[in-house]
Amino acid sequence: MAVLPLQHVRAVVLTQAWAGALTTQLLADMGAEVIQIEALERPDVWRGGYPPRNGGTYPENYPGERPYNRNANYNAVNRNKLGITLDLTTEEGKGLFLELVAISDIVAENFATRVMANFGLEYPDLRRVNPSIIMLRMPAFGLQGPYALYPGNGGTTEPMTGMTSLLGYKDGVPLSSGIMHTDAIGGEMGFAALLIALHHRHLTGKGQIIELSQQESAVSFIGDRVVEYTMTGQVPQRQANRDHRMAPHGNYRCQGEESWVAIAVRSDAEWQRLSALMDRPELADDARFRRAQDRLENVDTVDRLVEDWTKERAAYSVMELLQGQGIPCAPVLKALEVLESPQLEARGFFETVHHTEAGTHQMAGMPWRLSRTPGRIRLPAPSLGEHSSRVLSEHLGLQEAELADLVQRGITGQDPPID
Amino acid sequence: MSLESRPDGDKYALSDLRVIDCSDDMPGAYCTKLLADFGAGVIKVEPPGMGDAIRGLGPFPVGAPDLDAGGIFIYLNTNKRSITLNLETPTGKDLFLELVAGADVVVESYPPGAMDRLGLSFEELERVRPGVILTSITPFGQSGPWRDYQATDIVESAVSGLSYVNGLPEREPLKAPGSQTYYHGGTCGFMGTMTAVCYRDVSGLGQHVDVSLMEAAASVFGVQILSAQHSGRSPGRRGAGNPAGLLPCKDGYVALNIRNELTWQHMWLFFGDPDMADDPRFSSVVERRRHGEELEAILAPTLARYTMEELLHGLGPLRILVGMNLEMDRLVADPHLQERGAFVESEHPVAGPVVIPGPPFRLSETPWSLRAPAPLLGQHNEEVYTQVLGYDTKDIAEWQAEGVV
Repeated sequence: MAVLPLQHVRAVVLTQAWAGALTTQLLADMGAEVIQIEALERPDVWRGGYPPRNGGTYPENYPGERPYNRNANYNAVNRNKLGITLDLTTEEGKGLFLELVAISDIVAENFATRVMANFGLEYPDLRRVNPSIIMLRMPAFGLQGPYALYPGNGGTTEPMTGMTSLLGYKDGVPLSSGIMHTDAIGGEMGFAALLIALHHRHLTGKGQIIELSQQESAVSFIGDRVVEYTMTGQVPQRQANRDHRMAPHGNYRCQGEESWVAIAVRSDAEWQRLSALMDRPELADDARFRRAQDRLENVDTVDRLVEDWTKERAAYSVMELLQGQGIPCAPVLKALEVLESPQLEARGFFETVHHTEAGTHQMAGMPWRLSRTPGRIRLPAPSLGEHSSRVLSEHLGLQEAELADLVQRGITGQDPPID
Repeated sequence: MSLESRPDGDKYALSDLRVIDCSDDMPGAYCTKLLADFGAGVIKVEPPGMGDAIRGLGPFPVGAPDLDAGGIFIYLNTNKRSITLNLETPTGKDLFLELVAGADVVVESYPPGAMDRLGLSFEELERVRPGVILTSITPFGQSGPWRDYQATDIVESAVSGLSYVNGLPEREPLKAPGSQTYYHGGTCGFMGTMTAVCYRDVSGLGQHVDVSLMEAAASVFGVQILSAQHSGRSPGRRGAGNPAGLLPCKDGYVALNIRNELTWQHMWLFFGDPDMADDPRFSSVVERRRHGEELEAILAPTLARYTMEELLHGLGPLRILVGMNLEMDRLVADPHLQERGAFVESEHPVAGPVVIPGPPFRLSETPWSLRAPAPLLGQHNEEVYTQVLGYDTKDIAEWQAEGVV
């Protein structure tokens, strides 16, 4: 079996929805044994609930008998993990959880701030059973401060980071992004923080607690815009795709329905080459467009000239022409088109995953490549409680009769409670 | 392999790591900023003359371009040292390899193949420094038909799927806000590097980390890519009036998320109009989604009576999710972020005090730190070439004359 870089690490996690689940998926992708705990009464919200009420997408648009095992949201961010169920509101469930903590390196969670205190499972409680445990907590606004107890999700946290204020058309309203960036950023940053703590623990044997505010992580991703404000006092305005250094710079209409191409001209030399490609070499010497400053002053005209040319052409052919001249350019791809992009196909970025209940599909693979120890997708996302028996018997030595008893009492198992 | 000692004891998690950063532009700089801010000793190797391209981005304190005082450079290069070195000269290449011989990590962003042509392939670096980790951050990765193609943030946002879903259906798609793909690329560089460090901790082996900005950004879009295969259709732009869209209020815009019937009732109680909660058009999440436009019309006059903060503090305790649209001035002044110390002041010798974002997350034992401001171009030439490599100032003067430094 191939060596994986973090195969010496075990994590027992209560991560939910997207941000926390992404953190622990990255951990699992890199080889850690990640055991996700869910409660039968309250499974991961990205499973969609039973019956499904939170939307979500199902294979062939059909939820099936067990929709919670077929929801694309959950299945997209929980691969390579083991899934078990435990009711942490019972003494027994909590006791088993702490037994798992005792043999793990990491505990991670992204509940609202109050939840872990309600369980009686804060950092000091974990340290009692495992003094060198690393605990990651990642609520929307952190554990401290005036907003710490307010709940948040991607849709409401993103506006609190300044990002939403940057997204929109000139003189238009601020717009939420199509994906809710704070979750993705928080997810990556959670894993970044865990790696730092793992290295420190390797050198010193000491664990620690990590507090991650999803709001703060995302603010660091627009630090350049923050500094533009703090140094000049000018509040950045929404300006669609325009840039204050480059022109042309935008997404331009192409031939066909809803087809667009992104172009960024970084220098006057690139503008000269683009003018030649457009068969308008005279534009290069035109006083209105010669220097970047000139083009920025006449940006409406510049954009019109470029779009008049692109709209007669297919997006990929514009890309080939511009890239042939070293000018940054690529089509604005839709989700299914990303799957078919020749670059990602050549690099084998997407991996085929077989899920017993959701079927076979392609998933975005490893976000980075390690030459000696590349990760890969070894397991699909677990179905609800799929690995309960295996984990509890292999790791904690529970016997069949004990397991049956726990299932009987609804503390663990694979079937949703009947009500 | 013996680990190097930590100059500051165990105060900073990464202080045993020595990093040589010869990358150009924002992704590599953000990667090594994360390393440096958590304690790594980062030496930035810049081309003589202009230095890193970020130095030219501004904003500049008095308007006139000054390569030492650009705000974006100051944010992205905290805690690093800077030397100048021309890797395209034989002496420059030799000096670089001498630095690598004492390094744990090398970060670069040259076009694929360029390091090999300079005689600085991973194999060569590993020969002079067994166990070294080389992290390469490029627009499309080290292989594939697009490996030599050019990209900026808007191009990466487009090609990874992130742009198509932003904006109004009747208008052009909008790129992800800020320079987001650069930060995802930089963070993937950091995560890849640190994964390799953790593996080296137990195996002694280094490796080459290949980061493609396109793949870093496409990873962020993984949920939509799976969903689209299920539904057979790519998601489009949802526009402003969607359930997660923003609603105008007295002094700005808020996002509201009401998760169940109980909080729906609580909200109308707070607004002093409890009967509204019984309107059958809005009796469930599904119904409220179905009658989104009517709901917005009914909410508009009510929300107009409240400021963003009144809504946050009024509805937040009722477990209703509220997001205030913070424009940059409001963001920096936000009381929560202020109290948490989310922004710090970097005292810069040329630009003066500059307010920048502080820790992206907080570790209880090994904190994020601001130990030094971003370096001036070549500020540490003498320190590094004499103290680290053991040359004397005469050598530096000679290299200067030859255009090496």
